Amino acid sequence: MTNLARQFWTLLRMNLAGIPARLGLVSTIIVGVTCAVGVLVSMLAMVVGARQETLGIASPNRIVLTSVDAPSPAQSSISPDDLALIEQLPGIRRNAAGKPIVVLQAAVFIRARSRIDGTRTGFPLFGWTPGLTDYQPELRITAGRMFNPGLHELIANENCVRQYEDFEVGAKRHLHGSDWVVVGNFNLASPVCTIYGDGATILSAFGRKTYNQANLLLRSPADFVAVTRALKANPALHLKAQLQADVLAQNTQQLNGILSFVSYFLGAIMALAATIGAANSLYAIVESRRRELATLRAVGFNGAPIVASILSESILLAVPGALIGAAVAWLLFNGLLTSPLGASFHMAVTPALAMLGLAWALGIGLISGLMPAVRAASVPVTVALRAT
Amino acid sequence: MKYLPLLWAGIWRKPGRTALILLQVAVAFALFGVLQGLKTGVEHSIAATRADILFVGPADFGGAPLPLAYIERLRSIPGVKAVSLADGLLGTYQKPTQIVYALAVEPNEAMLELNSDLFSILPKDLQALRNTRDGALITADIGRKYGWHVGDRIPLTTNTLKADGSGTWTFQIVGTVSDHETGESGLIVVNYSYLDEGRALNKGTVRNLYAVISDPRRAAEMSDTIDRVFANSSNETQTSSFRENSQQQLRSIGNLNFLIRAVVSTVLVALLFSITTMMMQTIRERTPELAVLKTVGFGDRAIFMMVVGESLLICIAAGIIGLAAASGVFPYAGKMVPGLSMPLIVVGLGLIGAVLVALISAAVPAMRAARLPVADALR
Repeated sequence: MTNLARQFWTLLRMNLAGIPARLGLVSTIIVGVTCAVGVLVSMLAMVVGARQETLGIASPNRIVLTSVDAPSPAQSSISPDDLALIEQLPGIRRNAAGKPIVVLQAAVFIRARSRIDGTRTGFPLFGWTPGLTDYQPELRITAGRMFNPGLHELIANENCVRQYEDFEVGAKRHLHGSDWVVVGNFNLASPVCTIYGDGATILSAFGRKTYNQANLLLRSPADFVAVTRALKANPALHLKAQLQADVLAQNTQQLNGILSFVSYFLGAIMALAATIGAANSLYAIVESRRRELATLRAVGFNGAPIVASILSESILLAVPGALIGAAVAWLLFNGLLTSPLGASFHMAVTPALAMLGLAWALGIGLISGLMPAVRAASVPVTVALRAT
Repeated sequence: MKYLPLLWAGIWRKPGRTALILLQVAVAFALFGVLQGLKTGVEHSIAATRADILFVGPADFGGAPLPLAYIERLRSIPGVKAVSLADGLLGTYQKPTQIVYALAVEPNEAMLELNSDLFSILPKDLQALRNTRDGALITADIGRKYGWHVGDRIPLTTNTLKADGSGTWTFQIVGTVSDHETGESGLIVVNYSYLDEGRALNKGTVRNLYAVISDPRRAAEMSDTIDRVFANSSNETQTSSFRENSQQQLRSIGNLNFLIRAVVSTVLVALLFSITTMMMQTIRERTPELAVLKTVGFGDRAIFMMVVGESLLICIAAGIIGLAAASGVFPYAGKMVPGLSMPLIVVGLGLIGAVLVALISAAVPAMRAARLPVADALR
């Protein structure tokens, strides 16, 4: 066993020492892996970026109540009269005035023209009952001011201003028969355009009677259980509780699903091409070393260490490719603002993504090395003895 | 021509290597074909939709249908050439699984022109529909499927109740319509007036209105004008051109333009690098053979052309295989994006790309082969 291990180390050192002499073939493997990993990591940087920005505003202290039978908040309905009952639930944090922090939220759909191609897209306008700033203290007004209750006033996040027309402070928007004014812009990391306004005003303007969901700020994440229990015990409230993070994740599920599919699809095809190219190069390397390998067999080297040494070489060669690929993706795309599929967010190349790229690279190295390694071990000894 | 056997022998000198190169180039061009084809195909299908037809619908998603009186208001707006309408009944024939969609229209020329992308109707069939209040035109497909013939009376079960409380509507088949896109659900064309007179609810309303405008370049402006006319009424509208709608639907793919370009370039760089290296290796291995060829009288140019020829043959063959594979994928993509097919221009671009890849990757190795000093090579 120790003998085989020693053989393996000797062979691997020989393989690696021969790299400078075969620079062309070796760099083909590295370039192929670099491209495959670079594309995969760059594409997935969109998925990670979207998820980070979506969940960036989530807090384990925030929970969402919706109707028990509603598959999503859009189908849920909560009457303004239920607010008093919801405020009596246990575990809710209180604001400076001692009032439980519960805000009802209604979503209505409005449309706006894209700055890029002039097409109109629909997205939700959220109406809130008083207490938004207690519930979302991190919401920061970057221009203008907060909307006032009872008035046709809106605030829009910077994403809207970036992507769509007429969301700057002072812009007028015509919604359901009346003019609304954008009085402020706010900074709240979110991959989609988000607009807020006064709940009661929006409900009456859009002819609605009920809100979609109730948002609660808990004293601690542990209070989630108490709220769930209290809801079950209270037949007057036909509501269920979910963590805010879960609700947000559901909202971006479709976006992330498409982006992930495209990423892995392209990544897989690129990896296939890289694997074929690497296998071809390794075959050529083995080919050029036929006599050397046969001689090694003749002086007593075993097949297994030869296979292992070639496989290790091809896996090792994939590592620099993965590192370069991830580094290039990081340099080019990390933090870059991108707007695919109607969303807009910053891409993120994380260490975890780099590790994923490395894993793909190792896979490429392993698969591409298999056949050439077997070929190397099966070079007949007689090759060594034959003259050229 | 006399070099052909030599070229062939050169290509298959190492069958394994050639097969792998072929496969690698084919995979790269399949990827190119799918990505570029999708992008160009989407652009084509957007350009093919009409910018001069505006769709006028209720402003609220799933809102109440629009009053019929809107037609006259629309006609009076300057810049609007013609107005047409469409409503419909979703019904089943005999079994709940046999779904039939009855498109209710006004049987006139404006309607025909409007729907020219979807179907065409012969003048005699249009006349027959006009003459028969409860008449219906059927497609050949649906006629074959259910064994319907002109003259038959067909009952459809629907959720749209008639004044007498029943949801069963009976139509008399008076002719045929030829649809251009064979849909999976059956389509029949019926009279709007029959539907509107018969239904108990939503009388005097219409689900979809279409305005044909005289200047397609003013589509966005006209849409806003129309919506402003109906603003502050109980039925506000949401107007957009057919092209804007398809743009919106397909934007998801169109937005990935930058990405597609980046991926395609990356693939080409990796490919060029890989093939060049393999060609260099091949030339190195074949040095003695090339020297022999030179000794027996092959000129530098002939050797150069031979190496380039090998590369060209492999790349073009692989390009064809890859692009064919990409075209094979398109019928599936067509299910998501109607009317999408592999654009010929992309196939052409791909083949030009294959030639370029072959020429660039073969240039250095071919030069080296041509300049090979015979005396050194034979040693």
